[in-house]
Amino acid sequence: MKKLKGVVILAILAMVAAACGADEPADTSAPAETSAPAETTAPPETTETTAPSDTSAPSGDLASVSAESCDYGGKIQSIEATGTHEVVFTLCSPDPAFLAKLAFVPFAIQPAEHLEATGGSPLDNPIGTGPFMLDAWERGSEIVMSANPDYWGGPPPFETLVFRWAAESTSRILELQSGNAHYITNLAASDYETIQNDENLVLLEDPNPNIFYIGMTNTFEPFNDVRVRQAVAMGIDRQRIVDNFYPLGSEVADFFTPCSIPNGCEGEPWYEFDPEAARALLAEAGYPDGFDTRITYRDVFRVYLPEPGAVATEIATQLRENLGINATVEEVESGAFIEQTSIGAMDGIHLLGWGADYPHVTNFLDTHFRGPQFGDTIPELVELLDQGAATVDEAEAAPIYEQANNLLREHVPVVPVAHGAAADAALATVEGAQVPPFGAPQFHTMTPDGDTLVFVQNAEPISLFCADETDGESLSACEQVLEGLYDYDLEGNPVPALAESCDPNEDGTVWTCAIRQGVKFHDGSDLDANDVVTSFAVGIDAAHPLHVGNTGGFEYFAYLWGALMNAEDAGGEG
Amino acid sequence: MLGYIARRTLVAIPVLAGVLLVVFLLVRLLPGEPCTAMLGERATPEACERFNRANGLDQPLPVQLGIYAQRIVSGDFGESIRFSRPVSTILLERLPVTAELAISALAVAVIIGIPLGIVAARRHNTVVDVGAMAVANVGVSMPVFWLGLLLAYFGAIVLGNTPFALPASGRLPAGMRPDPFWEVWGLDLGESGFVYSMAFFISKMQIVNALISAQWEELWAAIKHLILPTLALATIPMSIIARMTRSSLLDVLQRDYIRTARAKGAGDRLVVRRHALRNALLPVVTVIGLQLGGLLGGAVLTETVFGLAGVGTALYESISTRDFPIVQAFTVVIAATYVVINLIVDISYGYLDPRVRLK
Amino acid sequence: MTSREPELEIPAVDGPQTLLRETGSVWRIALRRFFRRKIGVTGLVLVGFMILIALLAPVIAPYSPYEDFIGEPDAVRWAPPCVNVLGCEGQQHLFGLDGNVRDLYSRVLYGARVSLPLGFTTVLVAIIVGALIGSIAGYVGGWLDNVLMRIMDVVLGFPSLILAIAIVFVLGPGIRNTLLAIAIVTLPQYARVMRASVLSVKEIDYVAASRALGSSPARILFTRVIPNALTPLVVLGTLGIAGAILEAAALGFLGLGAQPPTPEWGRMLADETARIFTAPHLMIFPGLAIVITVLGFNMLGDGLRDALDPSLNE
Repeated sequence: MKKLKGVVILAILAMVAAACGADEPADTSAPAETSAPAETTAPPETTETTAPSDTSAPSGDLASVSAESCDYGGKIQSIEATGTHEVVFTLCSPDPAFLAKLAFVPFAIQPAEHLEATGGSPLDNPIGTGPFMLDAWERGSEIVMSANPDYWGGPPPFETLVFRWAAESTSRILELQSGNAHYITNLAASDYETIQNDENLVLLEDPNPNIFYIGMTNTFEPFNDVRVRQAVAMGIDRQRIVDNFYPLGSEVADFFTPCSIPNGCEGEPWYEFDPEAARALLAEAGYPDGFDTRITYRDVFRVYLPEPGAVATEIATQLRENLGINATVEEVESGAFIEQTSIGAMDGIHLLGWGADYPHVTNFLDTHFRGPQFGDTIPELVELLDQGAATVDEAEAAPIYEQANNLLREHVPVVPVAHGAAADAALATVEGAQVPPFGAPQFHTMTPDGDTLVFVQNAEPISLFCADETDGESLSACEQVLEGLYDYDLEGNPVPALAESCDPNEDGTVWTCAIRQGVKFHDGSDLDANDVVTSFAVGIDAAHPLHVGNTGGFEYFAYLWGALMNAEDAGGEG
Repeated sequence: MLGYIARRTLVAIPVLAGVLLVVFLLVRLLPGEPCTAMLGERATPEACERFNRANGLDQPLPVQLGIYAQRIVSGDFGESIRFSRPVSTILLERLPVTAELAISALAVAVIIGIPLGIVAARRHNTVVDVGAMAVANVGVSMPVFWLGLLLAYFGAIVLGNTPFALPASGRLPAGMRPDPFWEVWGLDLGESGFVYSMAFFISKMQIVNALISAQWEELWAAIKHLILPTLALATIPMSIIARMTRSSLLDVLQRDYIRTARAKGAGDRLVVRRHALRNALLPVVTVIGLQLGGLLGGAVLTETVFGLAGVGTALYESISTRDFPIVQAFTVVIAATYVVINLIVDISYGYLDPRVRLK
Repeated sequence: MTSREPELEIPAVDGPQTLLRETGSVWRIALRRFFRRKIGVTGLVLVGFMILIALLAPVIAPYSPYEDFIGEPDAVRWAPPCVNVLGCEGQQHLFGLDGNVRDLYSRVLYGARVSLPLGFTTVLVAIIVGALIGSIAGYVGGWLDNVLMRIMDVVLGFPSLILAIAIVFVLGPGIRNTLLAIAIVTLPQYARVMRASVLSVKEIDYVAASRALGSSPARILFTRVIPNALTPLVVLGTLGIAGAILEAAALGFLGLGAQPPTPEWGRMLADETARIFTAPHLMIFPGLAIVITVLGFNMLGDGLRDALDPSLNE
């Protein structure tokens, strides 16, 4: 028997050995190989990127990246270093959210030399300017960081920061209660009480603006009838959903955009719950006894929808009882769900939501109502959104968004249901523990009672090159190490970080950023304008030789700045 | 005998090829593109197109199959789409966790299961027998994940404020990073190569690593974290082994040669130990081999419940995110392990029972 | 579920002797043998109990499995059991309330109406398809036999749960697809049994003779092959129901099986996993229901094997 076990182990080992013969474990993803195709895809005429070798000599050449014209559909025309510590962003149209976007961690700055040395893919060895430096990433178990003694904002008050992960809220709480962790994220609603009843722990409310909505695609029957959509809007008791399935501090949504976002809740608030009026509308539309449909959702925990299954079941119950609509509940695999909803192919009612990336109303309205997700767009609304996106002044934009919100209320592509509250928890001994509305907890502003702070989040980061990541778990680890030109303060306002300031010209299309002097990267090199330009170029310029990353999607560059420039087949489509 | 081994091995080859093909097809048949699975709410059609091109997913299926088969045969598992890291590296990080869990579960199953079966057989039809078999019957009827959750509750809450509290998730406490054994031994294995990979694999089996490098605190922590998952995973094989041992021993005890030994005045204890046990344990060995294969399925559930970063959780995650290279490689490795174990069991069966060879 | 016992594969065919025995008396003897031993009888009682619950669920259950108590006094999510006899004064909920404020007791009772038919049907499908494949392979022989049985080997080349997970991911979650996936991963064992049975019948002179006399293959199938394979199929099938219920629960637990609001036990566990430390009753009762059902079928299967297979008899 012992022999048998030995044999089995040997067999497994042999298999692994065979697999590892080709690849070495410490290999950093063969940059030479992967960057080659990127180069060949570059149409030479459209590129004006200076070669990365030039960027390593800051005193001499100044780096720049640009698109030939604004026809590629993106927001940025060029980014140029105009001095060793000055960078100029030239935009295609004014962007009221420019600074808020700059503060987003995918646009963090790394040394140009490092990006070059790693072939544009520093996946597990980021070099930043942040308060913590990466020590070790023990795959599958934890990430260890140590304090950056030379941090320009002053060294953090403790020595070691450990990132761990556990998928279940209850396991995270256990870690906290046993004293193994100091700070945990994303409490389940049912765990609030546990934390509040434990005097050693504190509940930290997370003010991230979000929306959970019920979507209806207007190209499918019977949702092509606006009266049916309005009936659903009036026939669902949203208060009951929030009271029963959302944690304390959640609110019924009166508008699609939360009120904490400027211009979010202009206009008339949502319909009152009125099942009789709703049934009358249904009858008018020809469905006096309701109809058969389905509710689709994905089983993914998000702050806007912490318990998808329970809420889907509840909505089915309400549709049946209030409106006589008979809905089956179907869980759709997350990827397929997103795929189908985003192209407007989801029949029936779908449950989805949105968490803000940056505090601007465009991040809610433009992302949802310009595309095909809910079927045919509302032309007047799209026009209004165009106007709003080009209006930098908040007060000036207010009437535009008032009209936009009223249009949403009238056409009901979605029923906004709830703004979910989320909470983190920490040991009471951690001083200054707080959740900022945007971005990850800022651990350098906290003081644990020892030398180490252990943080437990939901999942392991995918990589630490956040220019090419989108998941919150990766971004929160990146934020400890890396910084951008701007940063969010604890109230969610963008404040200067690696830039001393960025100032717009009169029409808001040219932003000049003065780069902070005397900042050192973790490897000891100095921050200069070329590092800034190269960090941006690697992400936004699809033809850049270092445009490699992890999956190569550079989603946030494409999505927040409109499109990637110099992409091989970039047509004029928006 | 050699002919028999060769024959059995030859039969295993088309099975493995079939496994490769089935895995490839299943993975491509999954609904949902890897792009939307990975990029989530923020995926745009243009980004997906770029993504697919970058990952070779825009090629026609037969071409993808060709590349895949060629790579697997040459032992190259490719690179994960989601992590941009070699799949073999990820495998090397994940496999030791599962291996350690499976081996310790099997060890517990054998150490408890065989004596339980022996006791039940020797006290046939007594309270002990009925009790032991009741335990074994309930054991095979329990969902692994349910038992795991109950154990987690017991270890973390019931024992919560006692010194016997057991951790219900993770492999080691936060911040504990045992040194790899070769560093303790003062060896320099470099950062790559076959020897390094092997050593790395062994060092990731935390108990083994801590034991051979005399890191006692780490050893204790590693054992403590493994107790609950091991118990959860061990219950089913333990029950099966106990039942098999019992019925096999009962069967042997009725044979003529045992009666002869008894008639010659040999004591009960001696008869069982000297004569009966050896013959009775032969089929049990087979069962043990089969269980190791079965444990791989149970490991998916156990690792999910206890938050262990093993092959099972990696496989499940990568199916959800459509990380084709990982799904393919991991499934193939699991299935290959399974086929190889079955092959070894087959061969050992043929070795133990010559009649089988003639079939 | 994830385990296979070789003892299940051994009783494939008893050989010609049993075949030629008078069938009627064999069954009578088996029946007597079955009732002499406690294990099978206990299993029968447990299974009978669960079947009774499934049949009578609408009568016994105090509420509908879908009815929620939101807004009623004391009805909070995840409320612990409230038993009037034990002094609880509110509305009685024997097993407490679940995450949608539904009566867990009613849901667990109705769960039997999901899991039992699921187990039966899965095994039925697997036996029919498996037996068909097995008999074709055994009867035709040659390359077809080889191809079919190699395909079966490939299916057996995967740990069954992992293959079932992959199949459900492809087909999409839901009860019907769960059923199909489990049937697919389990049918090779039935195919093997059937094939072995066909092969052994083929070799008997008596059958060769009746074939020479013009008996149709179908007649031989029904008069000789199926009776011969029946014993192992019945035993394997009974144990297979236990396995199918366990695997369906595992798939439900991973969120791939039954969809809400279906009262399926594995899914109930999955929905409340996060409450294991705060509301353990939500885990205990559906889990116990699974254990009792699976235990019943396992013991029944063991009892049947002991009774039907004299070679294993003491």
